[in-house]
Amino acid sequence: MHDSHKFKIPIGPQHPALKEPESFSVALKGEKILGVDIRLGYNHRGIEKACEERTFLQDVYLVERVCGICSHSHSTCFVQAVEEIAGLEIPSRAKYLRTLIAELERVHSHLLWLGVAGHEIGFDTLLMYTWRDREIVMDILAQFTGNRVNYGMNTIGGVRRDIDVSQVKDALKAVDTLQERTKYYIEIATSEVTIIKRLSGVGVLSYEDALRLDAVGPTARASGVKRDVRKDDPYAAYADVSFDVITDNHSDVYGRTVVRLKELLESFKIIRQVLENLPAGPIAIKAPRKIPAGEAISRYEAPRGEDVHFVKSNGGEKPERVKIRAPTLANVQAVKHMLKDRFLADMPIVIAAIDPCFSCTDRSIEISYLDDARKKEVLTWPELHAYSIDWHRKRGIDFSSLNKKLKEGFKTS
Amino acid sequence: MTQEEIIVNDLKEKFANIAASIIIQRPRRIFLEVSQAQFLEVFDYCVKKIGFPHLCTITGLDEIEKFILIYHLAQDNGNILNIKTSVSKENPVLKTIINYYAGAEIYERELMDLFGMKVEGLPEGNRYPLPDDWPKGQFPLRKDWDPKSLENK
Amino acid sequence: MFKDLFYILVFPGFAFLSLFALAAEFYDRKLYARLQNRVGPPWFQPLADFIKLCAKEDVIPEAANQNIFKVMPVFVLASVVTASFYIPLWNNTALLSFNGDVIVVLYLLTIPTLGFFVGGWYSSSLFARLGSVRTITQLFTYEVPLFMGILASALLADTWSLSELVSFYSQHGWLWLCNFVGFAVCLLALLGKLEKTPFDIPEAETEIVAGSFTEYSGRLLAFLRLSTDIEMIVGSALLAAVFLPFSFNLGPGLGFILFISKVMFIVSLLSLARTVAARLRLDQMITFCWKILTPLALLQVFINLILKAKLIR
Repeated sequence: MHDSHKFKIPIGPQHPALKEPESFSVALKGEKILGVDIRLGYNHRGIEKACEERTFLQDVYLVERVCGICSHSHSTCFVQAVEEIAGLEIPSRAKYLRTLIAELERVHSHLLWLGVAGHEIGFDTLLMYTWRDREIVMDILAQFTGNRVNYGMNTIGGVRRDIDVSQVKDALKAVDTLQERTKYYIEIATSEVTIIKRLSGVGVLSYEDALRLDAVGPTARASGVKRDVRKDDPYAAYADVSFDVITDNHSDVYGRTVVRLKELLESFKIIRQVLENLPAGPIAIKAPRKIPAGEAISRYEAPRGEDVHFVKSNGGEKPERVKIRAPTLANVQAVKHMLKDRFLADMPIVIAAIDPCFSCTDRSIEISYLDDARKKEVLTWPELHAYSIDWHRKRGIDFSSLNKKLKEGFKTS
Repeated sequence: MTQEEIIVNDLKEKFANIAASIIIQRPRRIFLEVSQAQFLEVFDYCVKKIGFPHLCTITGLDEIEKFILIYHLAQDNGNILNIKTSVSKENPVLKTIINYYAGAEIYERELMDLFGMKVEGLPEGNRYPLPDDWPKGQFPLRKDWDPKSLENK
Repeated sequence: MFKDLFYILVFPGFAFLSLFALAAEFYDRKLYARLQNRVGPPWFQPLADFIKLCAKEDVIPEAANQNIFKVMPVFVLASVVTASFYIPLWNNTALLSFNGDVIVVLYLLTIPTLGFFVGGWYSSSLFARLGSVRTITQLFTYEVPLFMGILASALLADTWSLSELVSFYSQHGWLWLCNFVGFAVCLLALLGKLEKTPFDIPEAETEIVAGSFTEYSGRLLAFLRLSTDIEMIVGSALLAAVFLPFSFNLGPGLGFILFISKVMFIVSLLSLARTVAARLRLDQMITFCWKILTPLALLQVFINLILKAKLIR
């Protein structure tokens, strides 16, 4: 350490700056970053392989669990591909409802991001404020779908839950509040001196580099790349609503913040249009159990950027192959470039600025011993219970007599 | 003539031998199939002459007798060109495309880890996404892979 | 002898300072929480944290220098408690006083920073070392404006003793208001000294975990935290004595209340600064301290020199 004046510090796999395990090994000279070594894959759960072993309908719920924040993105992207293979034309009310949940999800994701970004630069007040306001949209999502995350809204052929008039009224009111707050945050982000000092000029990704490194979503749009799947390759009801693709020419973390904040306003615009023009009719059509042979690629503009699903069916109940490319995987490669010659202090915000979601990024490999009776790795709840009692008994802790006494006590009293 | 048809006609004219495989599946979705030997030539033409600024991803498929690779290229107006090529299972070697898309590196590493393909021209680097102590010769997305084979390592 | 022990251990020594520090920490946290639209902790939270930490196991890294690692929290605590003896609380005279004690107090308040540096450095952890280097780099930036701001005030009073300084300003009515620039400078420098946002660079959680404190746990951490709390009130008390030196003749009862309110006022200002700003980068802080704070402190010295010339005439 003394000889070379250069040392490596590990940011991750476990580190307060990262909300999920990923490893960034940073070579430092003083406070300056010489190079970053990124190692991904700590969240690999084997979802792509697991999809091949389940039916199409089960997979909808499985891919929803690829990510906690953009769960609707993955499930919509997946069902779109399946519907394309099966040749299903879903009712327009279902399309509108999908769009509605998608935009509410974007709102909650961007607000979450703003809070995290505030925390990364040591501005906890921003974190507390945005996460307080995020509760408003979470409540609306819970009202519409029954869940705060992993909404379970999609099914092959449409959506599963309808919404009624009173819910629409509540949502419109919430959107008004959120819009007002968002405008306040835009004002703060563009006028507070310490925020600007910490964000501008940090993590620069030029227009050319954004193209070369295949950046997607707000990361690319902040570098002036006008690329938004909602506009370029419209899905759900996006062809029917009017909104602008927000771009910015700052190319730095500040630009990414502005893009996300302004995108929030566009989302409110879309939500209002959807709620006001919600077509009547059924919310789903019946889908066959067996999906005809074929393949389709589906794209979706998740809050973090373009999400890509490729599905291939061989005519059975289970897909032949499901390929998922989450937006973070496309963006993470730009991080290395953004960090070069920056300060260590910039590292957390630069990583945070792509809004990384590593559990999205890592998916495959599932090890299940379900068929193997000898060595079951997946236990049912009673089995797990029995196992834990046994484990403790082996170590001299036995509650069985106490249990018996307790039960007898209940009976007598 | 729609944009897709312009691209398809252009490709059919240039590469007559694969003209039969070039199809428009639905608006904005074009599929074509090409042999590994001719792949780079077609790929180069698509990227440089027709112009596809964005690589969505690379999908690997295990078709039992061979591996299929699909390169999903996108234009900013939403057209996606899916270039299919295949490599043999005995010698699954493909050429890197990081000269065209620097971002392709991680997709190629994924193919290496999950299918056991070899990518020519890819510089040394961290593997993705499997752990460093993953046993050699285990490629989970191959159809003949059995998770039980991990038990007796 | 007994009286001295009482002074050192009970009042205004260790026991009083600890309780006051815990109360101030609660006040700081609660205010911070309320400003952020949160509920905030209950009143006993700081004490509960202290007791909880004391009950926990002390883990000392194998590679760390055991003795230095263990002794540093005590050393830090002793220096901040000692500093408090020289600060006048509610009357013109502090517990101890001699001509030149302003400088002694400032030096005693530098010791905690050095203690954090040494403790962090010898814990042999990457994050702790990086934190200690940042601590010491930061020391060079805020120390100069802090010293100059306080010395400017002493210059006007023409004394190097805190007690005499307080009595000088008490006799001269509203003259202390002239030190406003110095007060602002010292308040910002104190934020740096206490390592609070926007100058919490040495313990920036998202970059280097907890900086110098990374490897500390159990009782040692409890005492380190207590010392930082005491440092906060001693620093605030010093600023209160130097820059808010009015009504030092109200007697023990009212005077004591006034003293507490002055300290709490300064603590509130610190909390407020912490609420409205993001953490700066080390290079930005260096620029800020040397290009803005130091010239402002110089300006205060200059103003006081002119004032003094006029007063003497």
